[in-house]
Amino acid sequence: MSVATAVEIRFAEARRPEDATHVRLDTFDGPLALLLALIEQRQLDVLTVRLGDLAGAYFEALASIERGRLPLLSSFVSVCSQLILIKSRALLPRAPEAAAIDGSQNESDPEEELRRRLIEYRMFRDAGRAMGILLSSGKPLFHREPATALAAGKAGARPDEGAPLDPLTLADALLVSIKLVPPAPPPAEIVTRTITLDERAQVIRSALRRAPQIVLQELLSDVTDRIVVAVTFLALLELSKGREVLIEQDEPWGPIRVTPREMTDESIEDSADG
Amino acid sequence: MDDVVAIPVVPDDVAQAPGSLTVAQLEALLFVAERPLKRREIAALAGVSREEVDALLGDLEVALGERGLRLVAAGDEVQLVTAPDAGSLIARYTGVEGAKLSPAALETLAIVAYRQPVTRGMIERIRGVDSDYVLRTLLHRRLVVEQGRADTPGRPILFGTGFDFLERFGLTSLDDLPPLDAEAAERLVE
Repeated sequence: MSVATAVEIRFAEARRPEDATHVRLDTFDGPLALLLALIEQRQLDVLTVRLGDLAGAYFEALASIERGRLPLLSSFVSVCSQLILIKSRALLPRAPEAAAIDGSQNESDPEEELRRRLIEYRMFRDAGRAMGILLSSGKPLFHREPATALAAGKAGARPDEGAPLDPLTLADALLVSIKLVPPAPPPAEIVTRTITLDERAQVIRSALRRAPQIVLQELLSDVTDRIVVAVTFLALLELSKGREVLIEQDEPWGPIRVTPREMTDESIEDSADG
Repeated sequence: MDDVVAIPVVPDDVAQAPGSLTVAQLEALLFVAERPLKRREIAALAGVSREEVDALLGDLEVALGERGLRLVAAGDEVQLVTAPDAGSLIARYTGVEGAKLSPAALETLAIVAYRQPVTRGMIERIRGVDSDYVLRTLLHRRLVVEQGRADTPGRPILFGTGFDFLERFGLTSLDDLPPLDAEAAERLVE
């Protein structure tokens, strides 16, 4: 028995995943779906296809594939599972009793079922082709489209019947209606307020320029907006990270004292010198 | 019974007075109607029975013969359309260019046309691949229409073909579809 030695798989730019996976064996060269179709039709011996090599080649091809082509994976799994079923049935001899049971039609024969489905599919595929020819032969039928005037009439439009209105009458009517209708209130405007870290950091910096030490709770004593409080706290942490300030708190919920870093450094140096 | 003066009994689906309808009148009505008409609707309008409408429609179909118009019937509805041979001429007039269909779309459409009403599950069982997208495309192009829901668990949508399908393919009824060739398919598989 000749066994396929070289198996190669590559992905083509086909829209249908079954056709996109291109398989090359010693005995076969074409899309994955065609391989299955040929084996199902017994035009290719399933025993000559080494499924292990096929899977190996597939994994190799997958490694080089770009992301987002997952359908290729599912179609491969689907086709290979059918190949494995067919091959296992070809490899294993069938017991005569089993055949007898199948003959009694108590159990459906998977091979027969597959064949039946294949016939059914082909029947519709061919019917589809025939319909395609019908379509391209270009003999469509046309029905009367509703006339524009009729459609407009149904929509409530009325043809011009009386004499045209005097423009002055229209102008008068317009002036009266303007007086009757109250002016529309200006549309409500929602402006999102943005509080930036920089803004709040500047507030802390300017406070520190006025006093050698500040207490955060005092700085925010007249602030009721939680977001402002939170952003100020974050700004303070940023300043601390940037080694601009030193933060001290003796106990939870206690006053948060903030001192400028340079001053503290100097004071440390001073005390070291002293 | 003949000598008894009976008060005319009007069937539910027929208008008050029993009327009459000629082939010419029926033709005129269908000519003016810009939508498919139900046989029941015609019967009610003319005050005649459904059977009479059916018979007159048959007569009209014969009378149209080789003329430029054809009678299209889908389900209970009928419509007057242009003859297939005039198709390319009218297409040039309206400027409507029929879009082409992919093999997958044609295959799916064939299943719907021959097996209707079908569910998406039934289509996918035959094709063996997910058919959601292709079915939605056909629905969008109105080649396939929803025909209600199946009485099975999940109440899946039933699909079929409508007037647009017949018109696009130049068919006057579903009976005009080429017969399914099961034997040829069988020979191919053997």
